[in-house]
Amino acid sequence: MRSDPAEYDLVAPANLQAAVSLLANEPDRWLPIAGGTDLMVQFAAGTLRARNLISISRLPELRRIEAFAEEIEIGAGCTYSDIRKHESVQREFPMLAKAASWTGGIANQNRGTLGGNIVNASPAADSLPALLVYGAELILVSVRGERRVLYSTFHTGYKKLTLAADELIRAVCLPRRFTGYVSYTRKVGTRNAQAVSKVCMAALARLEIGAIHDARIALGSVAPTPIRLTETERLLDRKPLDPSLVRLASRTAVAEVQPIDDIRSTARYRGAVVGNLVTEFLEKLGGTQRMRSVALDRWNGLPMDEAEKEILPCCGSRAWARSMAARRPFSDENSVLAASDETWRSLGEQDWMEAFAHHPRIGESLAAPSATARSAAWSSQEQSDAAAAGDAVKIALREGNGEYERRFGRTFIICATGKSGSEILQILRHRLQNDDRTEIREAAEQQRQISQIRLRKWLQG
Amino acid sequence: MTKTGAQCQISLTVNGEPRTVRAYPMERLLDVLRQQLGLTGTKEGCGEGECGACSVMMDGALVDSCLVPILQAQGAKVVTIEGLDQDSRARALQQSFLEYGGAQCGICTPGMILAAVHLLREKPEPGMDDIRQGLAGNLCRCTGYVQIFEAVAAAARRGVGR
Amino acid sequence: MKDDRIVGLSAPRKEGRDKVTGRARYIDDISLPGMLYGATVRSRVPRGKIKKITFGPGIHWSEFVIVTAKDVPGENYIALIENDQPCLADGLVNHPEEPILLLAHADRHALPKAVEAVSIEYDPLPPVLTIEQSERQTEIIWGADNVFKTYLIQKGDLVGVWEKADYIVEGEYTTGAQEQLYIETNGMIASFDANVGLTVWGSLQCPYYIHKALMALCNLPETKVRVVQTETGGAFGGKEEYPSMIAAHAALLAIKSGRPVKIVYDRAEDMVATTKRHPSRTRHRTAVRKDGKILGGEIELTIDGGAYLTLSPVVLSRATIHAGGPYDWPAIRVRAKAVATSAPPHGAFRGFGAPQSLFAMERHMDRIARAVNLSPVEVRRVNFLKSGQTTITEQTINEPIDLNSMLDRALEYSSYREKKQHFASENESRTTKKGIGIATFLHGAGFTGSGERYLSSVVGVEGTAEGRVRVLVSSTEFGQGTNTVLCQIASEALGLPYEDVEIAQPDTTEVPNSGPTVASRTAMVVGKLVASAARGLEQTLTASGVLGAIHTPEEFRAACRAHVAAHGQFRSLARYDQPANIFWDDKNYRGEAYSAFAWAVYVAVVTVDLTTYSVSVDDFVALQEVGRVLNPVLARGQIIGGIAQGIGFALYEKVEWRNGRMQNGQMTNYIMPTSADVPPIRVFFEELGNAHGAYGAKGIGELPMDGPAPAIVNAIEDALGIPMDSIPLLPEDIFDALASPSKRVIDAHLPAGVR
Repeated sequence: MRSDPAEYDLVAPANLQAAVSLLANEPDRWLPIAGGTDLMVQFAAGTLRARNLISISRLPELRRIEAFAEEIEIGAGCTYSDIRKHESVQREFPMLAKAASWTGGIANQNRGTLGGNIVNASPAADSLPALLVYGAELILVSVRGERRVLYSTFHTGYKKLTLAADELIRAVCLPRRFTGYVSYTRKVGTRNAQAVSKVCMAALARLEIGAIHDARIALGSVAPTPIRLTETERLLDRKPLDPSLVRLASRTAVAEVQPIDDIRSTARYRGAVVGNLVTEFLEKLGGTQRMRSVALDRWNGLPMDEAEKEILPCCGSRAWARSMAARRPFSDENSVLAASDETWRSLGEQDWMEAFAHHPRIGESLAAPSATARSAAWSSQEQSDAAAAGDAVKIALREGNGEYERRFGRTFIICATGKSGSEILQILRHRLQNDDRTEIREAAEQQRQISQIRLRKWLQG
Repeated sequence: MTKTGAQCQISLTVNGEPRTVRAYPMERLLDVLRQQLGLTGTKEGCGEGECGACSVMMDGALVDSCLVPILQAQGAKVVTIEGLDQDSRARALQQSFLEYGGAQCGICTPGMILAAVHLLREKPEPGMDDIRQGLAGNLCRCTGYVQIFEAVAAAARRGVGR
Repeated sequence: MKDDRIVGLSAPRKEGRDKVTGRARYIDDISLPGMLYGATVRSRVPRGKIKKITFGPGIHWSEFVIVTAKDVPGENYIALIENDQPCLADGLVNHPEEPILLLAHADRHALPKAVEAVSIEYDPLPPVLTIEQSERQTEIIWGADNVFKTYLIQKGDLVGVWEKADYIVEGEYTTGAQEQLYIETNGMIASFDANVGLTVWGSLQCPYYIHKALMALCNLPETKVRVVQTETGGAFGGKEEYPSMIAAHAALLAIKSGRPVKIVYDRAEDMVATTKRHPSRTRHRTAVRKDGKILGGEIELTIDGGAYLTLSPVVLSRATIHAGGPYDWPAIRVRAKAVATSAPPHGAFRGFGAPQSLFAMERHMDRIARAVNLSPVEVRRVNFLKSGQTTITEQTINEPIDLNSMLDRALEYSSYREKKQHFASENESRTTKKGIGIATFLHGAGFTGSGERYLSSVVGVEGTAEGRVRVLVSSTEFGQGTNTVLCQIASEALGLPYEDVEIAQPDTTEVPNSGPTVASRTAMVVGKLVASAARGLEQTLTASGVLGAIHTPEEFRAACRAHVAAHGQFRSLARYDQPANIFWDDKNYRGEAYSAFAWAVYVAVVTVDLTTYSVSVDDFVALQEVGRVLNPVLARGQIIGGIAQGIGFALYEKVEWRNGRMQNGQMTNYIMPTSADVPPIRVFFEELGNAHGAYGAKGIGELPMDGPAPAIVNAIEDALGIPMDSIPLLPEDIFDALASPSKRVIDAHLPAGVR
């Protein structure tokens, strides 16, 4: 430990207002510290130049994650653990959730914050490429009020930010418009865990009738800031995906980046890996295209009532199935998935209830009478982790189901895939506290997730 | 050289007991635990938040105490290895570490046990992958990890502290 | 009447409960009243003359204890083999981070600033940064020719083999420095009192090495120096010789200040300033028959010792003796040398030269296989040493070792054949290439040749007033199981329950010198002496009439209590006696190098991902013949731990050097495997016994370090079809190898007179 704590001051204002006031009074004096996962390392190494720090780690205003209709707002003080555990983030911004899960180990994730990752501005920071491709906006706050900036304009150079000396990042806003996009993210580090990245990529694109739309590719560790490969993106825009395009895109990407030799890696390695990652992303996109066409083509061509009947097990609501069948033909899986969500959200509670009634109770193997064989098979697959639960959990689930039914008058609906019995039990107990309005919306959300999973399985044959 | 700051009073709960310490606000929680409170079970292996030897629980979350300035622990509930004597998960883990060879030189062991307790609280039935990921922030140079995984899996199988 | 056998069972770790509850006390957990903290001011240049030392402004220097070379009461060197390494540089620095002066202060936090405030001006001298530069001898930095030590092994008639050869296969193999990275850094507390003398406590492997060094440094007699080992958080050889240096520093500060002084390194200092594994370069030139049989060959082996001699001659010795692997060499010449460079001295690290030369040998076997168009398996079968044959030092293999059968079993456990076929066909169509590779090797346990005789280790076993038995050894526990295994042995020898046997904390005033805790000798050599001393203790009791020849444990305890009551605490000592048939010729480097070899076959399965060029080890089989497994859980733990370090040696652990100084001295940047990086590791033991080891045991601590790197790199070659001959092998290196179409040209320099 190479610093003397006696030479440092750290204050902890109780709320955001107090924090920004302090910054406003002496803007060049105070360095904000949140989780300390960067600054305390410098402190121990004796390289932390700032002597006066202001702790923002427990400001409640910075710690919320809120879902609005058009965007999700993540407080800058949210930790990587907060982020990776949040269901909506996992679902709609999986690359950010992933990045949060591979930043350091659990202990680092419990302390490091998204705001800290942004402000520390290491080009190797794990979450920044995801923020770029998701088109993040930052809400900056000071005594003068709040302002929004596009994250893509936030870094002007190596560790240079357009952040005034008296400003803090209050939140990061992510637009909720990426359903139906194929996402790809990969971190290339020095080892499988607790690794600083040598190259880190986040990418998104939509495939429509064989052409690439809105390709977004961001990279970390290959330039002084995280960057979007705008030339490569332009090259891909509205082009049909074929092997020669993939090769060209890969070469263009390598030419767009400016990696360096440093203590962890070499410029030539990084460049080559960038090209390979772009290839891998585009192959994933192509795989998406290739894999789905068979089942979908067939369904596209069925008569209306057969098409309804075939898709019904994915959801259970006849209104939904009718609407989906009416919207054919679909060009690819992503458009089917997008349509499903849209349709589902537009239905009324009656239709929702019809869908709910198709499900067996969680933890039990009895299928509801109106369910089809196929949906029963899927149900048991989805509940396979829960089925492995010990007896105590199974009993508790049975009791919980009963309680739920008595309270809400319908089966407890949860997207069980990947969840253990005890997890489901925890969620059930939590949801028993909800009021009716909240709970039906929650159940509907779960059904939406279930339908997505079932649609994928169905399309993949 | 001038001393910039003044010491402050920090009240926190450590291993279930309320404690008050006087310290500079930037003193590391690790150092306050070890030196002021005499709780030397928590170790310093790197000072960079890489090795996890300094792991403690702070308000239920596993953290590296070498990266926490003591002021940020104001009002917090901190649990160290010494505070796990009565914790049934920890005792089961300690027992299985002894049976399966999870501790060799022992310096990483307190942090490893903390991380394992934290893992089993979040995932009482962890698969091998969960165990690897859950312990990935704790470096061990002696065991090569395999017998640690086995110890954690054994403790989980024994249905620890549900 | 004997109890159930305890040797061979997984007796619980003696000090285990304290370790899992956080009660074990390591040196930094300990403080003494009035204690000061110490720090070291180190050289910032690789080589130069010290011109001027200035104590800068802003520090109240009068508050500090300051020690320079002039304060050394005795001789300013760290006594080891030769006395060339100063405790504190005096006018001349020979490597970056060389200690120049010492500071102590009551406030630990005051020290880093003070260290920074000492500015030193140098007249720089040209450093020597590589083996090749050292060999050129354009700059002489040590002795007359930069050479610390040479060995020559010659066997058979080399001249004829080149003509008879169907193939001559050449290769050059290099290994890099490796940092031991024990999770507990180096630390010592020293205290001096004119009456009592000097006492040091700390993290260490060899109390008597420190004892010897401090006597010379402080000009104190044997009885006025006391060294005590505290619980040690990992060592792996990194605390074999280095602790003498840090103990010396703490001692000098304690003597000057009259107060106890603690020095504990932070991670950065420990990484850049202390010892690492010797980097190596090995060149093979081998005459091979078309059926794959080695007819003879030349091996030229060079290790980089850093700036001072320290243990390089001994590392070189082991590297040299192991250079031929577990193979029959009808003729061989091994020329080995250790050279000086301007780096901090390299030192002991698990394996101690053998991982370096065995990496070369095992890579070379695969190269031979390709040259003669045989599989790596077949070429090894043709060359394996058999019982009755001799090693390269002409030691006859007397035990019924059957390496062919061991290989068969290892291949079966690893599904070698199926996997090799499967990978070959799968690899065609994928961007991830899988491969499987083997390494077959041996490791000699104990000190080389006459080393054990020279050490003349002494062990004690004591009876206590409570009727318990206490083992007295200077052999230290640092995770490998010393306490447990030696207590098991004593308990077995005496027929007592394991719980009745304890082991004393190594304290040079309390325990005899059982030799250093190195060379995989503790269970095997020291353990045998413990059994001996234990039986001696029993004989004392039976001879004095308080105990019958046949007795129960309770009778033993009663007899012990009675004897102590009558005569006081008593002990039995046993001293090492060289077996009559162990003969070693130091001059010609010939004879019985080791009293026992352990043998092993390791198999690694890897995937090379051509998107990122990174290697993951997917499966690892480790089969070894170890004489006798004294404690299955501990033995398995040693093997797995060694394999994890071997994986690091092969794929992750790179020291980035600039101007002789390590640049990546942080755990963030020096990469050791995490729990997410180790494969499932399957360990299998075989037991042929060992007449020279306790209960038939052979040493195993270092064995697992030898096999992983060559097995992994052989597997990578299998996956990619490209040979890689240098470790650590990072993804960047694999990318470079794939990107450049021409392979490295091997250029072996032949000595004159050999075609």
